[in-house]
Amino acid sequence: MTPSPIIETKDLTIRFGGHVAVDHVNLQITPFTFKSIIGPNGAGKTTLFNMISGQYRPTEGKVFFKGKDITPLSPAIRTQLGIGRSFQLTNVFLSLTVLENVRLAIQSQKDIGFNFWKNYLHFSELEDRAYEILKMVLLDTKWNVPASGLTHGEQRKLEIAILIALETEVLLLDEPTAGMALEEVPSILELLKQIKNRRDKTILLVEHKMDVLMALSDSIAVLHEGKLIADDTPETISKNKEVQEAYFGGGRSRG
Amino acid sequence: MMNPVQRFRLGEKEARFRSPFFFFRILLLAFFVLTPFMFRSFEVLDVVLKIIIFSALVASYDVILGYTGIVSLGHVLYFGIGSYFVGIFMGKLGWTSYGHLALAFLIAIVISGILSVLIGLFSLRIRAIFFAMVTLAFMEFTFILSSQLRSITGGDDGISFKLPGILAVDFSYGKLLGIEWTGRLMSYYLILIISVILFLLMLRFVHSPVGRVLQSIRDNEPRSIALGYRTYLFQVIASSFASCVAAVTGGCFAIWVRYVSPDSSLSVPIMLDVLLMVIVGGMGTLYGGIFGAAFLMVTRAFLPKLQIIIASLLPGVPFAIRLSERWLFYFGLLFIIIVYFFPKGIVGTAQEIFSRRKNSQD
Repeated sequence: MTPSPIIETKDLTIRFGGHVAVDHVNLQITPFTFKSIIGPNGAGKTTLFNMISGQYRPTEGKVFFKGKDITPLSPAIRTQLGIGRSFQLTNVFLSLTVLENVRLAIQSQKDIGFNFWKNYLHFSELEDRAYEILKMVLLDTKWNVPASGLTHGEQRKLEIAILIALETEVLLLDEPTAGMALEEVPSILELLKQIKNRRDKTILLVEHKMDVLMALSDSIAVLHEGKLIADDTPETISKNKEVQEAYFGGGRSRG
Repeated sequence: MMNPVQRFRLGEKEARFRSPFFFFRILLLAFFVLTPFMFRSFEVLDVVLKIIIFSALVASYDVILGYTGIVSLGHVLYFGIGSYFVGIFMGKLGWTSYGHLALAFLIAIVISGILSVLIGLFSLRIRAIFFAMVTLAFMEFTFILSSQLRSITGGDDGISFKLPGILAVDFSYGKLLGIEWTGRLMSYYLILIISVILFLLMLRFVHSPVGRVLQSIRDNEPRSIALGYRTYLFQVIASSFASCVAAVTGGCFAIWVRYVSPDSSLSVPIMLDVLLMVIVGGMGTLYGGIFGAAFLMVTRAFLPKLQIIIASLLPGVPFAIRLSERWLFYFGLLFIIIVYFFPKGIVGTAQEIFSRRKNSQD
């Protein structure tokens, strides 16, 4: 028997003007698994993501988290409930130091958010933890640099560090390796593998490079023109005719 | 085993009382404390005291603008509320005891807090520009109210009033340490103490966990939301905290001038001054307020004097005298020069140069 899904979408649809970006998607994510969403550019992956994390409101349909309807909730509250996300376009606090970026993520999960009378350094365990996480993503030597002083690849790592720091049950990763230098990709994949192997987080990842995902994913969902056309194990997906068509052949033949 | 961060923080802590910044603060405080001993003229004392009050007011504005990134155009409204409560209590109601003075401050703080929370909840959730317009509208509304409600506020003529006990004009303790301890001097030190306390409170506030969230909001609000912070609540906290501080500075101002009117405590020109001061001093620095206020107050007080000095130095040169009449022009010129050479304000740019030099040493 499969456990009840931690995240579930029901007929999730969003229209921008006349264009249906995501079309009646029913997706189920099993707790503590690694699921990838793939699809060609413009398939609606990031849009679907934005509806799960709350940045977009769907035109139709619902999002459930642990069986509870979270469709009307704001992104801030969803994060507090346990859905954290990273962004495809690097989205960090550029004028703050690398350490502070991560420390703020840890602080949001603690009960000290509204404390305005103590110095923030009083809570030194937050900085200690932040430093540990920076070590995991190999950014520890840059802890005191403002995030604006990082290379693009380093900012991507910081983005992941922030997500890890949130300690949410669900991690939504939007193309974590996008724009990264090739030699930096393996370290990130290794990190994702470590998180996956601990089996205490549910990971949902959007990617359009398929090779990245085959080894990592427990299951792969394929989006094409806003519709969910397949959702299965990596092996089955790689043999699926429809997927081959949409993903490899389809795009090319239509030019 | 300490990690590099802990080692760095420890180093910071140990160097706390040796840093140039620490000496600068001591020097600044010593200057304000010793001003009455160094300068005997009331004029100088008046300028220095206004620098003190406006430093605190500008710093409170900086908490909203520089630390949180919200543009309010009505911050002086709370300054006016503070002034008017002192004025109405002392002047209109004739409640002139120390207790009533304290009560006037307290009520002003509470009302400012409530009002700013309401305005914030009502307008901060929408767009930044909307907040700017709403705050400006509220200030204009209060300005009109204060000039129309003659029976309470004294209309455009304002309210003149006496202060209790040692703060009264005619109070004198006699000579001590070579100067006469008048009610003026007592007011000076009272206001200095209050302003220092306000400053310390604001420093605490911006270095607290809340203060750090505010900086993250200024930097990148959507990201802050994605971290799980309900940013608008933080913005409301910041704006109401700053408003309460502004109310206290307004009350202090009323104590000093013993007079309150719409033009002196509640008008758009004061708001523009505050904006100018925060830009000159540097946004997001808190200490910038002191420099911004000093720049504006000093140039305003002494540039017009240039005319008299030049006239006495060059009595036969009408061209020079005519040139020196245009003091506002020189003020504008100075302002442009400062903004050009200190793009982040005086303190902001100084900090940047300082940290760059420190990094190049490492």
